[in-house]
Amino acid sequence: MKDPRRDNKVDIATRVMSRNDSFAARNHELLRSNDILTLNIISSPGAGKTSLLEAMAGFFGPGLAVIEGDVRTRRDAERVEKAGCKAYQIETGGSCHLDAEAVGKALEHFDLTDGELSILAIENVGNLICPSGYDLGEDMKVGLLSTPEGDDKVLKYPSLFSRIAVLVINKTDLLPMLDFDVDRAVRECRSLNPNVVVFLMSARTGEGVEEFCRFLKGQAELEE
Amino acid sequence: MHELSIAKDMTTIIGKAIGGPRPLDRVNVTIGPLSGISAESLRFCFGEVARSEGFGEPELVITLVAARLVCLDCETEYNAKDFYDGCPSCGSINRNILSGREFTVDSVEFDEGNS
Ligand SMILES: Nc1nc2c(ncn2[C@@H]2O[C@H](COP(=O)(O)OP(=O)(O)OP(=O)(O)O)[C@@H](O)[C@H]2O)c(=O)[nH]1
Ligand SMILES: [Mg+2]
Ligand SMILES: [Zn+2]
Repeated sequence: MKDPRRDNKVDIATRVMSRNDSFAARNHELLRSNDILTLNIISSPGAGKTSLLEAMAGFFGPGLAVIEGDVRTRRDAERVEKAGCKAYQIETGGSCHLDAEAVGKALEHFDLTDGELSILAIENVGNLICPSGYDLGEDMKVGLLSTPEGDDKVLKYPSLFSRIAVLVINKTDLLPMLDFDVDRAVRECRSLNPNVVVFLMSARTGEGVEEFCRFLKGQAELEE
Repeated sequence: MHELSIAKDMTTIIGKAIGGPRPLDRVNVTIGPLSGISAESLRFCFGEVARSEGFGEPELVITLVAARLVCLDCETEYNAKDFYDGCPSCGSINRNILSGREFTVDSVEFDEGNS
């Protein structure tokens, strides 16, 4: 065998995300084997991820569990618990995204086998870039875009919007005050991702929430 | 910005491949436009991490590859570094992404005498 230390060029050809991906595969296996549909919810800060989860808690009750990722504080987990479902907070302590290893540790805090749990929603750290490359073991990435952010964001953050299975356009109650062009955002998202499923929503008024939850319920039943 | 933790993953991969830290001349990586990785911040973070972990001060050579797309209206395959322009044949933005998520450590180089 040749000694790599003697060569002056060593081929490595290794995907940098491979370590994270192996933790993600382990999480996915564990969640799948318990018939749990897992969502990785990604948006910029303040787009309405926690508001959506509060609304989902109203629909699913204890059938939903939530993992919250934030740089600091348990605030989002407390909001979701108050809305009626179990939540565990990961404080990333500065990191701008969740990774699969941290989610794997968080999963130890849930009883996945009790049969009550059918959906696990992971709220990622508010950020449109960094979370996109880190699979967590989810069945689908849900991208949230809120109308005040502008309709041009999709093509600016293609690594995220090309990977999502579901696009939620949130804060539709504000549309009359904004120049956000829903058709443009949807068209550009489909240009990266022809199969993306789109929901228009206002977590504030509740518009579109039930439709989204029914879709998830259908997906969760497929899983069983 | 997560290029710091990414840089640490890179030195872990390199260390494993060459049997531990040693000073390097060059590190060759490939980045696609859908990887979510910023070449600038990676260059900055990798330099810091490499030095502090005993890999010397290697040049980070980044190959930025284009994404490969296929037009859903006329079936033309084309390359793109970003996603603003449509198909070069028919202008359509209906397309499938064939590749563009690459992010790999390809190889490392060092002097024979430098061990
Ligand atoms: N008008 C309006 N406001 C909304 C809507 N959804 C959320 N908000 C408000 O937007 C703000 C941010 O909502 P959050 O749910 O905390 O957003 P988030 O994405 O969880 O934020 P981070 O976790 O900090 O990234 C809050 O003040 C919400 O009340 C909506 O549909 N319409
Ligand atoms: Mg939140
Ligand atoms: Zn075409």
